[in-house]
Amino acid sequence: MNLALLAHTWRANRLRLGVITVALTFWGMLMPIIFDAFGEQFRDILDSGVFPTQFAQFGGGDIFSLTGSVALGFVHPIAVGLNLVFATGFATTAIAGERQRGTLEVLLSRPLSRRVVYATLGLAGAAFIGISIAGLTFGAWLGAAITGRTAELGTGNLPLLWLNGALLYWALGAIGLLASVSFDRLSPAVSLTLAVVLISYFLEVLGSLWPDAKGLQPFSLFHYVDPKSVLTGFPDRGDFLLLAAVTTAAAVAALTIFPRRDLAAPS
Amino acid sequence: MSAPAIETTALTKVYGGPAFSLLNRRSRLAGIRALEDVTIDIRQGEIFGFLGPNGAGKSTAIRLLLGFLHPTAGRATVLGFDSVRESVEIRRRVGYLPGGIAFWDNLTGERLLDELAALSGRAPVRRGVLLDRLELSAATLKRPVRDYSRGMRQKLGIIQALQHDPELAILDEPSEGLDPLMQRAFYGILDDLRDDGRTIFFSSHVLSEVERVCDRVAIIRLGRLVALEDVPALLARRKRNVEIRLSGPPPELAGIRGVSDVEVGDGLLTCRLDGDVGPFLAAIAGSAIHDMTIEPARLEEAFLEFYESDLVGEADMGSPVGVPR
Repeated sequence: MNLALLAHTWRANRLRLGVITVALTFWGMLMPIIFDAFGEQFRDILDSGVFPTQFAQFGGGDIFSLTGSVALGFVHPIAVGLNLVFATGFATTAIAGERQRGTLEVLLSRPLSRRVVYATLGLAGAAFIGISIAGLTFGAWLGAAITGRTAELGTGNLPLLWLNGALLYWALGAIGLLASVSFDRLSPAVSLTLAVVLISYFLEVLGSLWPDAKGLQPFSLFHYVDPKSVLTGFPDRGDFLLLAAVTTAAAVAALTIFPRRDLAAPS
Repeated sequence: MSAPAIETTALTKVYGGPAFSLLNRRSRLAGIRALEDVTIDIRQGEIFGFLGPNGAGKSTAIRLLLGFLHPTAGRATVLGFDSVRESVEIRRRVGYLPGGIAFWDNLTGERLLDELAALSGRAPVRRGVLLDRLELSAATLKRPVRDYSRGMRQKLGIIQALQHDPELAILDEPSEGLDPLMQRAFYGILDDLRDDGRTIFFSSHVLSEVERVCDRVAIIRLGRLVALEDVPALLARRKRNVEIRLSGPPPELAGIRGVSDVEVGDGLLTCRLDGDVGPFLAAIAGSAIHDMTIEPARLEEAFLEFYESDLVGEADMGSPVGVPR
């Protein structure tokens, strides 16, 4: 790892990180408050049979319990979109974007091995994701505190909730970085990573809304984030291990490919 | 005798190997020979020019030296370090100016130079002198790089490459975008570096620049080295253009050593002169000459002569060009 590169990366991303973290904190806070204010009405509507019961299980979250609302906050497209700013945006531009702009040339003309560059940018990306997810987790606690429901939330489980969420985006970020080191231009790296994210998300949501498609969910990385189980004290270790394994495998592949690649002059 | 600053042995690069071709769009264009069998050695303390038209393989050679590319065959060492296995050590000692350099545009010039110096891991001991020479003021350095003109960016590129006083500077088209005054200032910087024992390897297609600055020059074409010469020796071997205004009958120049292409008409004699001028001067002694000019040999002509003869060689032999001289 290179401290000068880490400092440069931090300076280049700190404003974006601040905005995303504040937005996620606000979003995380909003869900328990919405549950507190409207949970009962939503339950009455659902019980009336107007909507199918699957609508209450969007991505494993719901609005009829505190843990369900926090889970919904984690898997809602707004939260996913905000988290992807670093998991795909930062990760894919880190190498392919710099290469396309021509600035990777200036960076790699310094005494930095490609593995060091990868490790430093990977670590920076992991930290940014970790901070964003911490904002989301803190927001959930804040929302519960504002509505006087912290005991119901199980505060002791929040670090594990953070880890579960962070592992998902670390895995997606590692895939993004793998794409980033593999291409000369940004668009194929972004396209490939977004395809993985969107297909993964679609499979998970589809499986949660349509019982016949439940068998597709294990193929989705989002399936291995289960805030409700984590908050109720029954996390599945296998979920954590699988996400960690995907992250590791993508990192190993990137560390193998990047140093061996030819970096021809930018065109 | 000290070890060469750069040494390449049969260095070859073919784009389009089987590995990773699915991932690298460029390498799917299988079988492009960007560099072939290039063997050169560059002495420490010299300014070495690497000449060739666009697409000749200059940038490929530079990228092989810095470890950005992996050679298909052959090897290169820079300051004694292997370009594949020890490229980090090479880049620790080298200052590099890429052609068409790009920067992190949101940074100010000063911040950019600070960050690049920090990444180099060496203090920017030459920065002050370089800023003075290239007339980049403190006020300019406070502005974001995105506001810089092309010439200012090039100055910044030169400074970032040299500010940490590298043992070897590798400069790709360094004077591109500089106005004539700044080009002169840049040549002064190169002279300073040479006086301090630094080695400079620079690629260019500006022949007058190479002639002005370099001790030796390599000419590359279609990925192959076609000449590697001392610049003075290369110039000395080139033919000079002679023009004589006559006020009487023309001198007899047929059969005089070094004289060729003699043409006479309207009181004007033109010819080309190669090598020692003694026999030519002896032959014209006593002739009625009103005026005479001998144009010094220009590298540009030498360069074109190389290319012309290569093209003839290719047509005659139907084989690739080697290192003919």
